[in-house]
Amino acid sequence: MSKRRRSEEDFAEEIRAHLQLEADALEAEGMEKAQAERSARLAFGNATIVRERWNLRDRWVWMRDLVDDLRFGARTMLRNRGVTAIAILTLAVGIGASSTAFTWIDKVQLQPLGGVTEPDRLVNFESVTPNGEWVTTSYPDYMDFRDHLDVFDGMAVTLMSAFSVGNAEHSERVWGELVSGNYFSVLGVKPEQGRLFLPAEFGDAIGKFPIAVISDRYWRSHFNADPSIVGRTIRVNQHELTVVGVAPPAFHGSIPLTAFDLWIPYMQQPVLNGVQEWMLRDRHTRNLLGIARVKHGVTLEQARLALKTLAERMAVLNANVSQGMSATIMPLWQSPHGPQGLLAGPLHILMGVCVLVLLIVCANVANLQVARAMAREKEFTARLALGAPASRLARQVLTESLLLTGTGAMLGLAATPWLSHSLKFLMPPGPMQMLVAVDSRPNLPVLAFTASLCVISALVAGILPALHVARLDLTTRLNGGGRSGSAGQRRQIMRSALVISEVALALVAIVGAGLFARGFERTMHLDPKFDPDHVLVSQLYLSSNGYSLVQRKEFCRRLEEHMQSAPGVNRVAFSDGIPLGFQPSWWEELKIEGYTPQPDENMSIFRNVVSPGYLPLMHIPIVDGRNFTDQDNEKAPAVMIVNQAFVKRFFPGGNPIGKMVHGWGLWFRIVGVARDSKYHYLGELTPPYFYVPFQQVYREDMNLAFYVRTPGEPQSILSTLRRQVQALDPNITVFDAVPLNEFIGASLYPQKVAATVMTVMGAVALLLAAVGLYSVIAYSVAQRTREIGVRMALGARPSHVLVMVVRQGLSLTIAGLFAGAVVSIALARAVESVSFTNSAMGSNIRLLDGNAFDPLIYAGAAVFLCVVGMLSASVPARRAASIDPMSALRIE
Amino acid sequence: MPTRKDDSERLFLLQGTLDLLILRVLLFGACHGQGIARAIQRQSQDVFFVDHGSLYLALQRLEDGDLISAEWGVSENNRKARYYTLTKKGRAQLTEKSSQWQKLAKAMEMVLTTAPEEA
Repeated sequence: MSKRRRSEEDFAEEIRAHLQLEADALEAEGMEKAQAERSARLAFGNATIVRERWNLRDRWVWMRDLVDDLRFGARTMLRNRGVTAIAILTLAVGIGASSTAFTWIDKVQLQPLGGVTEPDRLVNFESVTPNGEWVTTSYPDYMDFRDHLDVFDGMAVTLMSAFSVGNAEHSERVWGELVSGNYFSVLGVKPEQGRLFLPAEFGDAIGKFPIAVISDRYWRSHFNADPSIVGRTIRVNQHELTVVGVAPPAFHGSIPLTAFDLWIPYMQQPVLNGVQEWMLRDRHTRNLLGIARVKHGVTLEQARLALKTLAERMAVLNANVSQGMSATIMPLWQSPHGPQGLLAGPLHILMGVCVLVLLIVCANVANLQVARAMAREKEFTARLALGAPASRLARQVLTESLLLTGTGAMLGLAATPWLSHSLKFLMPPGPMQMLVAVDSRPNLPVLAFTASLCVISALVAGILPALHVARLDLTTRLNGGGRSGSAGQRRQIMRSALVISEVALALVAIVGAGLFARGFERTMHLDPKFDPDHVLVSQLYLSSNGYSLVQRKEFCRRLEEHMQSAPGVNRVAFSDGIPLGFQPSWWEELKIEGYTPQPDENMSIFRNVVSPGYLPLMHIPIVDGRNFTDQDNEKAPAVMIVNQAFVKRFFPGGNPIGKMVHGWGLWFRIVGVARDSKYHYLGELTPPYFYVPFQQVYREDMNLAFYVRTPGEPQSILSTLRRQVQALDPNITVFDAVPLNEFIGASLYPQKVAATVMTVMGAVALLLAAVGLYSVIAYSVAQRTREIGVRMALGARPSHVLVMVVRQGLSLTIAGLFAGAVVSIALARAVESVSFTNSAMGSNIRLLDGNAFDPLIYAGAAVFLCVVGMLSASVPARRAASIDPMSALRIE
Repeated sequence: MPTRKDDSERLFLLQGTLDLLILRVLLFGACHGQGIARAIQRQSQDVFFVDHGSLYLALQRLEDGDLISAEWGVSENNRKARYYTLTKKGRAQLTEKSSQWQKLAKAMEMVLTTAPEEA
């Protein structure tokens, strides 16, 4: 509007004019002049306040209306306690679940690392194998990248590692990272106490920097937040390290969802873990996770291209080890290493499901609101009659729905920190479980997300009731009461549509739950092709106790000997990697006698380093040749056992036994063929795989898993194992001992999360849809009391009435089912293509394994919903059937 | 005296009714605020009490809603005064609201005067 805004002075002028006129009038009526002026002022009241209100009129009115609406809304809500409680609780569930999902996504993907500066310029860099899989990087490759690329402000590498901290009497395991010296400077971390690593300590000189940085958490729990810790020494893996500083509270290291407590320069690794120095110079030892900071003004694409060009040049220069290799960068959250790699897929599905549930909740609340708006028609009519504009009533309804969602959102938000922790319970057993750190304090993005959810749901849930109120027509209302008019029909259609959409959404949720649960169950029943029952697996961290390689091997040999003769033990074995575990599996680049690889063929083959007892303990049969023996030791010629897939790929039709294979700088003779089993995921296509003897290949940087097979419960043997280990060396503690069949559950983790979450959400959706259906049918029965009375008076039997009402509920349900089936099929098709990991170990494994269109699940869900629909309709139907025609007709 | 009735007999105006009364007064021609207040009081035979402060806020609200328009002028006794006129929109609103009120009043009257029936 182009109307000139009236000035405050003009209004004051008008008031003065009024007082003058009023005084004149009073004088004319016979009052004295002074008395008349006083009376005029008195009758006007406080002119200052009036001017104030006039001044604030736009804002004031809006605010006052809002406050009125809120107050009035709160009063009406309190009057309908039951309905309000249902609405608020369901909203709290919907909003709380969505906020939790968002918190996780926020933690995993949006801001994976806390306490770093400008995280959006941080990227992961990964080496790429000739067939396009992402793998970690070797230290020499890292040095080349670091020194020859100008698109990055800096590049750092890190290796997660378990340390034993403390003296010989009392030591405990602490998870930390071995990092390049420039790690903190690349991440842009500011110290909480003391300092972080200095440029002088960035060098590649081995063993020169006996220093460490500890986490804020560790500082508080172990040193009472004493600032004098800076400069003191702590004993790590039996070596003294000087603590130079404390990291800030928000910083937990460079793997999302994982909290580390200790950072030590990578170049200390030979001292601390006894790793041979040559390994740090070996381009084959690709074990480092890389993080780089992209320069300002350089795009991700430019940086990726520069890295790729350099890596490909290096692959030519170092053709003997890196032929065909390349490198790439990706946003931190895309990194396949660490829990976020596994979580990304399930989290997106979770978010989708939460939105689905929230939609159902909104439909339900909308339904309740429409019902209430109908019940309140008298109130609305009175207000219309008193001159309230319809828009004002609609706003009142919207305000009330905002009040509902706001209260629900606050409850949901309060529950979010608790719900966030449940991520921990979904994590697989083993060391990872202790590491997961979800900072559960809701931060700004989460709050903003919840607030917008709240507003959006208020709109979604409030728009239909508001429209309904806005359409109220005073005349019809005053005349007919609107009971049987067309407006009443329209409202019933609106509510029916809402229920149909609820049923449709519930079908989507239930079909989803069914598909995921079935996929999970099917994978669970896949035979791992080894026998994980009655086996206890535990991990030993010998290197952190200062053992040399020779001592470690000796320790293993003696422990095996002692355990073998202990009661209740069938067999013992040890290996580097645990199959179907959560931890990465390693590979070796092989040259195979008599096999010429294609130019781009990936010759990196996954392997395990095992003791002779391993294959028999796992019940993996040798199908050809022989197993390892104790005679396959350091002095004997190197030998290897391969799996059937290996034979199929490299010796099609030929006999592999006796063939030579080159790896680790040695030539191995193939002495046996083991039956194929599952290695990384139950759903995988069996990859070529091989085993080499522990005694011949075990190196300082390998892990050590110890297996015990027992006739009874695996846990029952733990005390024996502890005792035997203590007898050998009291300093060594057995960590993470779990039954193998539980441990391998880790490989099912993403599917387990998806199935669990979908089942819970499906149940919630089902409940909500049932409530919605019930309320609509119940209302319609109440509306039709008189009609039903007439029918019964004319001879309809109660069973007829029962069938009639149930049929109404069923027809709504079936309409919902048709709509839901269409949506489900479309969604299942979209979800089917989601792969839950992009690491080299498990590419092409999908959450929904080809069963997205299982007709049984669709039919089952539909039948189930029909039954629920009938049950929800049967309660009001029974009420209808028991109507006494006489009293029904007399009611009005 | 601006009021001649005892306070207990006076009715405070319901929200929304003041606007309608103002529009009604202006139907007979342009008038200034003080005149409107007097007219309402006089025409309601002093039943309604018009709070002068609220009246001016109501006038502003109606003006903002384009139901009335205003112009400075001179009163009969040669005083400066702001005169309000009904717009076309205001006239339509008055017609609509008046008929609603009459219906409501009639209905109320009917309900209040009907003798109680046997249930």
